[in-house]
Amino acid sequence: MKEEEIRKVVREGYARIARQDSNPCCAPTTSCCGGTDLARDISRNVGYTEEELEAVPEGANLGLGCGNPVALASLQEGDIVLDLGSGAGFDCFLAANRVGERGRVIGVDMTQEMLEKARENARRAEYGNVEFRLGEIENLPLADDSVDVVISNCVINLSPDKKRVFAETFRVLRPGGRLMVSDIVLLKELPDFIKDSIEAYIGCLSGAMMKDIYVGTIQSAGFRDVRIMDETLFPIDLMVNDPTAAAIIEKQELPLEELNEVAGSVISIKVHAVKPNGTA
Amino acid sequence: MKRELMDILACPMCKGPLQLEVTEEDENEVITGSLKCTQCPETYPINDAIPNLLPPDLRD
Repeated sequence: MKEEEIRKVVREGYARIARQDSNPCCAPTTSCCGGTDLARDISRNVGYTEEELEAVPEGANLGLGCGNPVALASLQEGDIVLDLGSGAGFDCFLAANRVGERGRVIGVDMTQEMLEKARENARRAEYGNVEFRLGEIENLPLADDSVDVVISNCVINLSPDKKRVFAETFRVLRPGGRLMVSDIVLLKELPDFIKDSIEAYIGCLSGAMMKDIYVGTIQSAGFRDVRIMDETLFPIDLMVNDPTAAAIIEKQELPLEELNEVAGSVISIKVHAVKPNGTA
Repeated sequence: MKRELMDILACPMCKGPLQLEVTEEDENEVITGSLKCTQCPETYPINDAIPNLLPPDLRD
């Protein structure tokens, strides 16, 4: 798929999800059994606590993330935080609780439908320190050196130009600022039929990079102290229960053995990186 | 969109500073208006308190 086409299908896919309300991880295009309960189950599985799930407005958690609690735990009061691909605002609200009144959280997302939801959630819960902008993570609408921490949860894999996303992230972070992302990466290349599937792209599979290349791309953008804080195998039961994956499996008449191999190549990682001082 | 966050906003294309023009505002924030780049010819709309800072080809 060409870059433009990828952007279009990702936007349309997530607009559809925003309208449907709730969906299983990462983001299947069809949902057989979506709903708030399922979103909560998925979020619990990827590491959010009960308190965190209770602490956000209802409807903000669509269960689309691969989990970013480590990043949230590291936030300090007064931090300016940028969330790349903020969706309905789940991580933004959790971050807002952490940074307090003196802090600010800015969510950037390219899907109008998601942002409308996020804004409605912010308004209902009266969050004064969260703001949303319609924007593209490859072209961030923020000034140089203006942000303390950039967080992102299972989004960068969707970008057709990840190199540029990390370059833009580096630009907007202040020297000494941190990148704390959670994302899907690969240990082995995926078979072609999955790589070519639009459904699998939206579901965070086909766009995923090889792990080493992902880490290398962050380093090449200028980041230092690039560390993988946590690494989890994408659970196979989640894949079998995922309507997107199920559709692909059915269409391809994939034997279980091969399915296991695919599942074994997909992992969720949490990465920490720092923009060095003295680069301004 | 809150006025106090203006200083960290920038044009997504040329990264130049943006100038705010307000059409409608309540006690908390700007509801409708626009953000005009001071360096390049782009102008970005603000609708329902959300600035649309998508690159022009994605704005539709």
